[in-house]
Amino acid sequence: MKDKKSFWEHLKAWVDGEEVILNADKYIATRTPKESLNWHKFFSVQNVKENKRNYAVLSVGITALFIGIMLSVVDALPEFGSPYNPSNNEVMVRYLEKGIEETGAVNFVAGMILDYRAFDTFGEANVLFLAVMCVVLLLKKDKKNYSAKEEQENQEDDFFDTNEKRPILQIGAKMLAPMVILYGIYVVLNGHLSPGGGFSGGSIIGAGLILYASAYGQKKMQTFFTFKTFTKICAGGLLTYCACKSYSFFTGANHVGYEIPKGIPGNILSAGFILPLNICVGLIVACTMYGFYALFTKGDI
Amino acid sequence: MREILAAIFIIAGLIVFLLSVIGVFRFKYVLNRIHAAALGDTLGLVLIVIGVMIMTLNFFAIAKLFLIILFFWLSSPIATHSIAKVEVLTNRNYEERVHEK
Repeated sequence: MKDKKSFWEHLKAWVDGEEVILNADKYIATRTPKESLNWHKFFSVQNVKENKRNYAVLSVGITALFIGIMLSVVDALPEFGSPYNPSNNEVMVRYLEKGIEETGAVNFVAGMILDYRAFDTFGEANVLFLAVMCVVLLLKKDKKNYSAKEEQENQEDDFFDTNEKRPILQIGAKMLAPMVILYGIYVVLNGHLSPGGGFSGGSIIGAGLILYASAYGQKKMQTFFTFKTFTKICAGGLLTYCACKSYSFFTGANHVGYEIPKGIPGNILSAGFILPLNICVGLIVACTMYGFYALFTKGDI
Repeated sequence: MREILAAIFIIAGLIVFLLSVIGVFRFKYVLNRIHAAALGDTLGLVLIVIGVMIMTLNFFAIAKLFLIILFFWLSSPIATHSIAKVEVLTNRNYEERVHEK
């Protein structure tokens, strides 16, 4: 009797009743598992790094794939510098001539990025959110992912943070931080009237928060800005943006089927959805700025 | 006449900025360098803003420019002070602190 039988011979013996496993449980526990090519493991980072040839083949393949995609896109683009390109004739003229009438925003840039190209801005806000979520994933200190030594270092940092006297910085921050945050809020709220908008105003607000946090320490900051607030503001801003823009796109993206009062161009309450969208973007950007600072210095918001 | 006066102020401010930039690159140690950098943030900025004020002669523009001076004179010394404090507290290399290496 052969040691190794093929599957067919096994089946035949099993049908004939020749092959009966007596101690099935013991046999199952002690038998060697079948060596199968595990694709998940084959493409794992460790395996790829160990085998230089795999690494070279994979990197060349991925690069060639991306080069192919990019070149095909470049091939499909209109010719550079041609006077008949859409960017040269219709779009710019229409934005400049009908911008105020269609969006209600005196600031053309706000009208463009938050009305004509609102999906693009939504993607940018999502990119910011994704970036800060990746940093949270990597750097946020949890009970499970840091050792006793790090815990001790953290406690020493906290001790210095609370006991270090920084009178000059604290008085300066007390005077400057409210002004900086107020100016940021002004820039966000006037996004459709004057230069500025969600991104620039949000980064000013974030800078004010960072100034306050660096002067008064993380503990004081956590009395009004915890991780929960951070998550709620970020997710809430994105969801509000999504809801506003979904409404306008589902009811006719070209300002056809819905009517949001645009108001008189130049008033603070005008320009339809641009003001709430600016506020959403500003909140997300401010949270992202402060989140990066807090996570990189302390590992906690 | 007004333009000439404004130009004198702005050019003086630019000279101060130039000196500050040269200082930042010439000096090797942190405390010397922040001394050079603060020159531009305080005197150079004020000279340039005074020149711009003379150019506009509009009350609201002058008030806004005055706010710029106020903000910079509040924030720049505080930032410089923080940098210097961290340097003094953390750098234990005596040779670098005294003899610039």
